[in-house]
Amino acid sequence: MKKEKEVDVSLRQFIKNIGYMTGGAALLAGTTPWLQSFTPDKLEEIKKERARVAVIGTGSRGQYHIHNLLQIPHAEIVAFCDDYQPSLDAALALCPKAKTYTDYRKLLENPEIDGVIIATPLNWHATMVLDALAAGKHVFCEKSMALTMEQCKAIYDAYQHTGKVLYFCMQRMFDEKYIKGMQMIHSGLIGDVVGLRCHWFRNHDWRRPVPSPSLERKINWRLYWESSAGLMTELASHQLEVCNWATRKIPESVIGTGDIVHWKDGREVYDSVNVIYHYSDGVKINYESLISNKFNGMEDQILGHKGTMNLATGKYYLEDETSSKSGIEQLLKQIGDKVFTAVPAAGPSWRPETKQAYTPHYIVEDRFHVNDGLSMIGADKDGSDQILSAFCQACITGEKGKNIVEEAYSATMLCLLGNQAMAEKCKVDFPEEYKIPSMKFQ
Amino acid sequence: MKDIVITSKRIKKEGRIVLICFIAAFVINVLSIILYKTPWMEIVTQLGYVVVVTIGLYVLFFFLRFVWWVVLKIFKRKKTKTGI
Repeated sequence: MKKEKEVDVSLRQFIKNIGYMTGGAALLAGTTPWLQSFTPDKLEEIKKERARVAVIGTGSRGQYHIHNLLQIPHAEIVAFCDDYQPSLDAALALCPKAKTYTDYRKLLENPEIDGVIIATPLNWHATMVLDALAAGKHVFCEKSMALTMEQCKAIYDAYQHTGKVLYFCMQRMFDEKYIKGMQMIHSGLIGDVVGLRCHWFRNHDWRRPVPSPSLERKINWRLYWESSAGLMTELASHQLEVCNWATRKIPESVIGTGDIVHWKDGREVYDSVNVIYHYSDGVKINYESLISNKFNGMEDQILGHKGTMNLATGKYYLEDETSSKSGIEQLLKQIGDKVFTAVPAAGPSWRPETKQAYTPHYIVEDRFHVNDGLSMIGADKDGSDQILSAFCQACITGEKGKNIVEEAYSATMLCLLGNQAMAEKCKVDFPEEYKIPSMKFQ
Repeated sequence: MKDIVITSKRIKKEGRIVLICFIAAFVINVLSIILYKTPWMEIVTQLGYVVVVTIGLYVLFFFLRFVWWVVLKIFKRKKTKTGI
C-alpha cells in the first residue's frame, strides 16, 4: 500500500494529472507556460539519460532536495559542497558516492557536473548563480532570487545572455492544486479578481540550535539583514508569486509596516509584517505574516466577484452558493431576515455581517496535500519534487523553462519593495529601472 | 352548553381556501427553485415545506378574515345604534 506521505516524483504522472494529455494543452500553455517543456514526447526522449547534478549547501533544505533527487530516475548526484562539516556529513550519509567540496568554485570546475542545486543562505544566491552560469552549469537555486534588487537584475541580465537553464524553487508553479486552481481562475470560474488576501501565521521563533555562539549568524542566517530579507523573502515570496500568477500582472506600488513584536531575542528581521500591494486597477494584495500566533495558518486567497479560490487549502467557494439549503428554505430565510433582523436605528444597510457558511469545493479530487506551514525545510507534495525533476530533465535537454526566471524575479522584487516600504515607512512605486519586458502593470 | 354547528357549505368554503393556499405555496416553491437555481427535484422533496407554508398562509388568511369580520361587526353595530 502506498504511504500517505510518499513523494511521487513521476513527472509523467504529474503531467497526466494536470490534464496535459487529455486536451488541456492550450489552457495549460496560457496558465503555466513553463510546463510546455515537459511534453510526454520529451520525457520519452530522455528516458535513458541522467542529469549529473551537485548540491551546494547541504543544510536542511539541501538535504530535502537530496532526498527528492534520490527518487528521480533521470538524476544522478555527483557532488556536494558545504563549508559546515556536520551538514556535509549528513549529505554524505544520504549519498556516500558523491564527491565533497568546501569551496563551491572548485566544484564548478568539475566538468562532470551538468547542473548545480543551490540551497544556501539568501546572501549567497547572486554570487553563486552568476558564477555557476559563467562556469557553464545549469542552475537550480532556492528562492528567493537574491538579497537585493541590484543582484536580482544582475541575475536576470546574465540569464538573458546565457544558453544555460536557470530555475528558482518557486514550487507552487509545479503544485497540482495551484495549477488547476489557476486554470479555474483564468477560465473565469470566480469572475473578475477583485482582491487577494495572503497570510502566513506560525507560532515558532524561527531559530535553530547553535552549537557555538560564533556560529549564530551562520546557522540562524534568516534572522539578520546581512544574510536575509526576513519573512518577505522566506515566506511571502511564494505567495506573491501566486498573486502575480493569478492576476497576470504586477502591482505598481506598495505600502507596509513591519516590527519585532514578540521575538525580541537579538534578531534584526521583523517577526510581524503587514504589506499592501496596489495594482493599477485598484485591486490590492493584502499580505500579513506573524510568527507568534498560528490561529490563521497559511492561506492564499484569490477573491473574485463570483467566488473565492483558496489555493493553499485546495478549496474554492462560490458566491451564489452560500448554503446548501433548498430554494424555499432560502426564500423563507430571506423573508425572515428582512422582517426580523433589520436594524431600524441605523438603516437597512447596517448589519453585523459575520462570516457565512460557504460550501467548499475541492480543486483536486481524491489526492491533494495541504501543508501546515510549520516546516522550515519543506513539505511533501508541494511541487518541490516536481520542479526539481523538471530541472533535471532540462539539464539533459538544455531547454529553458519559459517564464520561470521572470516569475521568480517579479516575486522577489515585490518582496524587496515590501521591505523597502516598511523600512522607509512610505509608499514605494515599482522602480522603472527594474521593470522587465514580461511585466504587465496595466 | 351551546353546540357549534359547522355547515357543509362552510366546510366546502374552508376547503377551497386551503386548496388556494396550497396552490400558492406550491407556486412559491417553484418560484424559489427558479430564483435560487436549485434542483427541480425540490418540487417533490420540499412538499413538507409547502404544507408548512400552506398552513402559514391559511392562518394568515384566517386572521385577516377575522379582522374583516370584527370591522364589519363594529360597523353594523354603529349603523343599528344610529338607526340608519
